[in-house]
Amino acid sequence: MITFGKGNLRVPKWSKRVFMVAGGCTPFRKYFPEYKLEELVMIAYKMMLEDNALKLSPKEIKDSIQYCAYGEFADHFQDQLLCEAKIHDYLGLEPMWNNGIKTGGATGGAAVLNGAMAIASGYANCVLVAGWERMDEVDTRTGNFYIATAACKDFETRMGRIYSSYYAPMANRFAEQYNLSEVTRAKIAVKNRGYAVSNPNAQQPGRHTVEEVLASRMSAYPLRFLECCAMTAGAASVLLCDEEMAYKLSDTPCELFMAGGTHTLRVADRRPMEIPLLPNEEPGQYDKLLAESGRWPGFESFLAARFAAYMAYRMAGIKDPLEELDLVELHDAFTISDIQTYGDIGLRPYGQEPDYIESGDAYFGGKCPSNLSGGLLGTMHAVGATGIWQAAEVLWQVQGKYDHFHGLDRWWKRAGKQKPADYENLQVPNAKQGLWISHAGVGSHVTCGILRKAW
Amino acid sequence: MAQPFEGPLSTEYIGTPLDLFDDEKAWVVKWPRSMEHHHTYGMLTPFFKGLTEGKLLATKCVNPKCPHKSTWLPPRADCPDCYARTEWVQVPSEGKIYAYTMLDYTGIGIEMKAPYWQIDVEIKGVDTIFKGFLLRGKPVTGLPVKAMFRTKNPTHTILDICWVPKED
Ligand SMILES: [Zn+2]
Repeated sequence: MITFGKGNLRVPKWSKRVFMVAGGCTPFRKYFPEYKLEELVMIAYKMMLEDNALKLSPKEIKDSIQYCAYGEFADHFQDQLLCEAKIHDYLGLEPMWNNGIKTGGATGGAAVLNGAMAIASGYANCVLVAGWERMDEVDTRTGNFYIATAACKDFETRMGRIYSSYYAPMANRFAEQYNLSEVTRAKIAVKNRGYAVSNPNAQQPGRHTVEEVLASRMSAYPLRFLECCAMTAGAASVLLCDEEMAYKLSDTPCELFMAGGTHTLRVADRRPMEIPLLPNEEPGQYDKLLAESGRWPGFESFLAARFAAYMAYRMAGIKDPLEELDLVELHDAFTISDIQTYGDIGLRPYGQEPDYIESGDAYFGGKCPSNLSGGLLGTMHAVGATGIWQAAEVLWQVQGKYDHFHGLDRWWKRAGKQKPADYENLQVPNAKQGLWISHAGVGSHVTCGILRKAW
Repeated sequence: MAQPFEGPLSTEYIGTPLDLFDDEKAWVVKWPRSMEHHHTYGMLTPFFKGLTEGKLLATKCVNPKCPHKSTWLPPRADCPDCYARTEWVQVPSEGKIYAYTMLDYTGIGIEMKAPYWQIDVEIKGVDTIFKGFLLRGKPVTGLPVKAMFRTKNPTHTILDICWVPKED
């Protein structure tokens, strides 16, 4: 049984409070030949500067930025090393320092965390976080090959060469251990793709049925195509500030609390360990579950997500996540990774994850809806941008701007689409606090960010 | 005074012109290439060599001060708990299926004929779980399996080990 060092469990403490004031993104598509990568990033950056009711002009904000954190998943996809330099130059932000951040699928979240650290430390008081990915230079199966290089090249990659095959064993194991039916999994795909219908930027919106999901082509048993996210081209950005700059720029800033956790690249290397308990859990609560399953996190759960939530809840003073969070954006790259995370972040105790869906809590109008943005399944997974775009979607919800950023005709026009007749305004009434999870590998890196209304 | 450097006086294009997809909105060029990587197995070389000799080798931390003294498969040369150098141990070439999936759609470069079963195997005395594939048969959780080794025409990769049902 692995236990954790006392010092390792110290809760992070910002030296200065950190705020998020603005977000931007591109439309998300499978294939985006009309723009070069830097042109896509400029679209997201300008939207962030111009459309978030900031009280300084874009030029004045540009003149205020002292640091940039840039997220990009894979040099393979961009086929360009030092993309950060190209983007930074294109945005005209020299000679201010930038860091390129790479933590697989959690790259976006990691970039936000890195930017927050720059604010918290006092290195900067105005930070641009931007991320991108263009996965459209290669065909889909070459893309699958590239992504599979994020499994261990010596011991795993040759076993599958498709990332769903590293999640699928966890799905089978989870189904057997925690009584998860494929119908519950399919409901997640239906829900998130359905919410994507109201997102003008969504790549894969659709009103599907559970039957359609289960009848879609098998990727790696039991995961079907409609349970897997797609490859995307696009970019996203958010603006972070210290307290003084936040209120100078915005009348609706949100305070940010954020931490990360990690675990092995190879899921099978995870030795049995103690469960770090969330504030709403009791010692001994999981004794029976551990006796039955034999090992935690096993193939069912993610230590990295649990550790990130353990820290972030304590930073934010959250005692009961389901009661205190008004919405969440989770990393639904696969239906199963979404479900696994419910237990890790305390939306349900371990072993009862499917109930978060079945109870209705996860839906719009429910106790704590998830992925109203359409998530990765419905809207996008331009990997380096994903965790940044999720943050922007949570920010806009807490600012009460869902309809502004999803309902206006200009956004539908920008995406080259017609606003659908069944568009729904998915604004959570009086949202005060939301969480987003950015997740890599089979749980190698996970960040947990919480945005709280601060006005 | 330094002599002027006698560089070339002209050059010429020796590449291969790129094909063009004339997309409606922008030019998109098609740029094929191939490359070769020389990848080392480093200190894990005995493991891969072992497969070609029909042996399943793991590493074990034998440092008496180590808090866990874990046995690792996949092996690792250094113990992450105490940073001692680990030692090679041969482990049973049999175990039980812990988890599984069936591969159907895969990325390019796949070396196994799909569809096939990928399995994770729990091995007695090993602290980790070991990924592999089932050569024949159908997996269920808990099914006893035994290893087979590709000692003839080895691939020199992890695909030199596979599993079959023990009762086979
Ligand atoms: Zn050791």
